[in-house]
Amino acid sequence: MKDGRFLTLGIETSCDETAASVVADGRFVMSNVISSQIDIHTAYGGVVPEIASRKHLERINDVIGKALEDACVSAKDIDLIGVTCGPGLVGALLIGVAAAKAMAYACDIPLVGVNHMHGHIAANYLEHKELEPPFMALIVSGGHTEIVNVPDYNKCEKLGGTRDDAAGEAFDKVARVIGLGYPGGPKIDRAAKEGDPDSIAFKRVYLEQGSLDFSFSGLKTQALNYLNQERQAGREIDVNNVAASFQEAVVEVIADKAVMAAERYGQKQIVMAGGVASNSRLRALMEEKAGRKGIKVLKPSPVLCTDNGAMIASAAYYAYRSGVKPDLELDAVPGLEF
Amino acid sequence: MKVLAIETTGKYGSASVIDNGGHVFSASSSEEMNHLRGMITLIDEAIHEAGITKDELTHVAASVGPGSFTGIRIGVTTARIMSQMLDIPCIAVSTLEAMAVRALDKAISAGALYVVPVINARRHQTYAGVYEAVFTSDCEHQSAIPVMEEKQYMIEDLLSELQTRMAEHSGAVAFFTGDGIDAYADIIKSTMTEGSYAFADEDLRYQHAEAVARIALGKAAAGETLTYNGLMPEYMRLAEAEQRLRAGTLSDRIRFPAK
Repeated sequence: MKDGRFLTLGIETSCDETAASVVADGRFVMSNVISSQIDIHTAYGGVVPEIASRKHLERINDVIGKALEDACVSAKDIDLIGVTCGPGLVGALLIGVAAAKAMAYACDIPLVGVNHMHGHIAANYLEHKELEPPFMALIVSGGHTEIVNVPDYNKCEKLGGTRDDAAGEAFDKVARVIGLGYPGGPKIDRAAKEGDPDSIAFKRVYLEQGSLDFSFSGLKTQALNYLNQERQAGREIDVNNVAASFQEAVVEVIADKAVMAAERYGQKQIVMAGGVASNSRLRALMEEKAGRKGIKVLKPSPVLCTDNGAMIASAAYYAYRSGVKPDLELDAVPGLEF
Repeated sequence: MKVLAIETTGKYGSASVIDNGGHVFSASSSEEMNHLRGMITLIDEAIHEAGITKDELTHVAASVGPGSFTGIRIGVTTARIMSQMLDIPCIAVSTLEAMAVRALDKAISAGALYVVPVINARRHQTYAGVYEAVFTSDCEHQSAIPVMEEKQYMIEDLLSELQTRMAEHSGAVAFFTGDGIDAYADIIKSTMTEGSYAFADEDLRYQHAEAVARIALGKAAAGETLTYNGLMPEYMRLAEAEQRLRAGTLSDRIRFPAK
């Protein structure tokens, strides 16, 4: 406690960002330190789990130290530690979990494990101070494309998800074949602004009538086939047009299904989360489609869309308040479900 | 001094606390690869056994490898954060040296000149070192002096270098320890001459924090300490993708590992 505020330290190491943050009363970001490894993994064209684990270990102390320092607090002011315990890369997760446990033990602070996906949703509590459940959540990232009903704090019901590639994964793969490189999401977003989304007819994959699931692997194959066909015909490939058309095919389906889910469950607001929630076209299309149905769309600012410790702290705060018991035998669970 | 030592590089985790008098208090896991879940409980038990509180610790030591990459990281991360939060220095202890020290008494009573800790790194590979068992001038204490570099060896290369060295001392015996015995006993038996080798019994064969604590106490007394950022794993091997990147053979399989 400091100045009468309940302080939570959030720690996040599930993929390639080493992050820690201090959040007051579950809502106010006092510090948010994110040490990205993107420069290292770019040489490999994607995240290499073993290297990610090694880098997390080297950086975790200073990231936690800086989070405390930036918030002008010391470890003894912290009331609760929250750490991502899954889903994610197991070797990466366990650095955060081991660090959180050691700190919790050394400083006598309660520790709770946080589902990374709950964290992404909680990013919205930091951005929108008035937001309270119930709402529909749309999570789109490098590893996830999910529609989740959130009836209450710390309650999440997954309604649909991807059956193959996540949206961000599809972006990465297509970006690679058209030579935009890694990370694909932001690069496709930028290129698409210069292209025509109607220039190439990529299929919209809606699956069975009423399904809230996604499938993006066919789209990736379609993009590959298109590129081969154009190359064989000796035609020049307009990278911007491919990016725009591909992106449109992905985000249109996502937006349609998110709005369908909100309507089906009578939710008046949709919150967006995850790295791909920063995609400018997805944001615009969501507002357009949801707006037509009188549904409000909330989204965190881009810094809270990427993996960060603040969202984990917020989720930990609400989990602890709703009775989740502190646990020093916490394990890392790479395939943790909602 | 009260030094906490953490050992998580092998199958079973353990934690020990050692005091100035060399008294060791330990807790060991009986569950395989339970390092992440069990470590804090083991540390707390060892501290409790020692009759102290965690605030009385003066140093925290970790067995830094070689061994299981994941195991190494759990122990080193735990030690680094405890060091930072309790504001006490760290000590790095070589896992192979700790294994040699653990087997030393038995090796000497078996008449061995050399102690050879061998960690199985699969496909005939090992992490190993060779130590000479020597007595201090008062003949009361023995210590393990490194005589061959700790590094990755193919088991065949290790044995051949060891035999060359042993040829200079007729009748010398090498005392093997570590899970390398479990993997390569047949190769060792068929390569070494009869009577020139012995194997550590299973109760002393595997990593344990007690030996880490004994080495750490000496290092603490000698001032060989580190800040938390100085405590680093000793993997002895680059990540596979890094090896391939350097060799120019990075494949798509590495670029996009299966989830």
